[in-house]
Amino acid sequence: METSFALTGKGYVIVASDTTAARSIVKMKTDEDKIKVVSPHLLMSYSGEPGDTIQFAEYVERNLRLFHIRNNYSLRPSAAASWIRRSLAQSLRSRKPYSVNLMLGGYDVTIDSPHLYWIDYLGTMTEVPFGAHGYGSYFALSLLDRYHDPEATLQEGLATLKRCIDEVAKRLVVSPGKYKVKVVDKDGAREIEL
Amino acid sequence: MNSIANRFATTGPIRELKKAQTRVEDDEFSDSVWGSEAGFGSLAKGVPNFTVPSVPDPSSFLRLHTDDFADPNCRIKIQHGTTTLAFRFQGGVIVAVDSRATAGSYVASGTVKKVIEINPYLLGTMAGGAADCQYWETYLGIHCRLHELRNRERISVSAASKYLSNLVYSYKGMGLSMGTMICGWDKTGPAVFYVDSDGTRLKGDLFSVGSGSTFAYGVLDQGYRWDLTDEEAQELGRRSIYAAGHRDAFSGNTCNLYQVKEDGWKFIGNYDISKLHYDGPGETPGAGYGYDIRIERTAAPIAVQA
Amino acid sequence: MSRRYDSRTTIFSPEGRLYQIEYAMEAISHAGTVLGVLAKDGVVLAAEKKVTGKLLDLSGAKEGGYGGSGEKIFLLNSNVIGGVAGLTADANSLINYARSAAQQHLLQYNEDIPVELLAQRLCDMKQGYTQYGGLRPFGVSLLYAGFDQQHQFQLYHSDPSGNYSGWKATCIGANNGTAQSLLKQEYKDDIEVKAAISLVLKTMSKTMDSTTLGSEKLEFAVITLDPETNLPKAKIYKPDEIDELLQAEGLSKKEDDNAMKS
Repeated sequence: METSFALTGKGYVIVASDTTAARSIVKMKTDEDKIKVVSPHLLMSYSGEPGDTIQFAEYVERNLRLFHIRNNYSLRPSAAASWIRRSLAQSLRSRKPYSVNLMLGGYDVTIDSPHLYWIDYLGTMTEVPFGAHGYGSYFALSLLDRYHDPEATLQEGLATLKRCIDEVAKRLVVSPGKYKVKVVDKDGAREIEL
Repeated sequence: MNSIANRFATTGPIRELKKAQTRVEDDEFSDSVWGSEAGFGSLAKGVPNFTVPSVPDPSSFLRLHTDDFADPNCRIKIQHGTTTLAFRFQGGVIVAVDSRATAGSYVASGTVKKVIEINPYLLGTMAGGAADCQYWETYLGIHCRLHELRNRERISVSAASKYLSNLVYSYKGMGLSMGTMICGWDKTGPAVFYVDSDGTRLKGDLFSVGSGSTFAYGVLDQGYRWDLTDEEAQELGRRSIYAAGHRDAFSGNTCNLYQVKEDGWKFIGNYDISKLHYDGPGETPGAGYGYDIRIERTAAPIAVQA
Repeated sequence: MSRRYDSRTTIFSPEGRLYQIEYAMEAISHAGTVLGVLAKDGVVLAAEKKVTGKLLDLSGAKEGGYGGSGEKIFLLNSNVIGGVAGLTADANSLINYARSAAQQHLLQYNEDIPVELLAQRLCDMKQGYTQYGGLRPFGVSLLYAGFDQQHQFQLYHSDPSGNYSGWKATCIGANNGTAQSLLKQEYKDDIEVKAAISLVLKTMSKTMDSTTLGSEKLEFAVITLDPETNLPKAKIYKPDEIDELLQAEGLSKKEDDNAMKS
């Protein structure tokens, strides 16, 4: 089952997502990247209705790029999150809404701080120190309540993420296999091997 | 007098002419003026316009008339059961499919072509609604050709599959049913993309689609390696389709096998699945894929030699 | 000869000019002066009011509102103030548009609109009026003084053609040439708000027609950062605050002037 986690730390946000693409009981693919780098300092993990996910992610990516080309600066994470939430909320009230859940992690270079937003397909948005979507969230949220530290180093943050992944692997009936992990900090976004 | 009558008439040729003229005038500042249609007329708009039944939810309307499971007396039965597979390997792409068409529990045909030859370098497979796949993949063929004419080079498999995926996504929720693999060879080498009517599009080495796909995966995954020889790869594709044809009631009859290489696709052959069961692809009785046949063979290896 | 080309905004003259745009700019150069100076820690804006007189009821500007008499200087958003020169009626429509654009940005992005983006929004509209038939361009130039996270304090100018540009100090309206050459001499790159206020008032006193300054001829505004919240704070001065300021700067008219007038 689709699962994604994200957590903030001292000057960074880690976003992790499983890599399976399933259709009914079959895993069609086990190395699908479901985290998009939507702008230089912004990561977005997406899950939900097949088709909608990638279409919406690309829509966001293209629009943020367009904003950058038009205005010569990138939207700050808070502004991008507001725009994305609004797009989802507008879509919800259209004939064919996007059913997509998102975790948006970004680093605000103007005020030098990491930000993480939890957004669901209904257009709910909230800024969080950590968050999760999917069945994994039932295990990870309590774990993160217990172990998350907003002042943790990247090493410690990744260790906490590892706890989440291990817990889900241990307890969830149909646990996803591999995860892709990306991190964003003052130097931009990059992928990390766990 | 006649002119006055014409002016106020709501029908008739003059009126139609007037209508056409206003339409042309309205269009004066359409996209075509600014060049975005690039003189390609309606084809450049991408999607032809279909009349969708004027009901709030077209897909449930469609389901009402086509769902054989819920209502065996439904008037339209869409062809469903299928096994198709495609995989990438060192020697290109292997595409193998079965040929059975079922409508409900009735085998409608045993000689369906489930590989759609989009152009000499692109193949598409067919699972789900036969008409949907046939129509849209032929339509994709038109656009692949237009791409060639406009850009003086062949379309990449990635771009072709993305075109199809965007196309079917625009019809999402309206009842399209397709699960297809777009296979071919482009500048990047052999490529396989899975595209379905949900709008999913996945790049990968190995896919199988249809009701028999799980059976095909069972054989395919175990026998798959990147460095298979051409012969080994063809045998793997054939054997996987046999496995699905044997185990899945909705798949069977014959297996169509294709291979895509650098110079385009080639049809390898059509194999009767019953014959594969007993004799295998060759003309050797007792060399079949069937479990009993195989066990008998290992018990009495001399028989095979003969 | 030019007659044939100056009646339509959208038609070029044979020399490649758009007369209506040039006329609009000409109209502005007769309007009340608006002067802006960008400082390290803020932006200062001052404007000369043309509609004056003893009988004009200014009680509305004295108390209530956000300051200003509503002729020259307006609050466009909490982080931007605008000064206008030209046809006041046209300006009102632009200001309304600017305020809506700022709110729309807030709605979409949950942040104050960046100053340059606001200037761009207005310029996109102004440009439209230079191209589409049957419409008259806005006879208005604007100064935008504002603050945003991206580029801190900024000062922009836009004209009826839809051009805009950023400035350290600039002036629009009557006598803008004189004012600009004065500013060029006096401006220092690391100027602070306090010095900028003096510079603005000094320049205004030299370029305005009347020899002495008073709140009935002047509008004045400053945008700075609130030291407590660290958010932009736009202050448009009320008449008595202007007089107080002029007094402090020693530019106020003498008591007997007032006596003579009444």
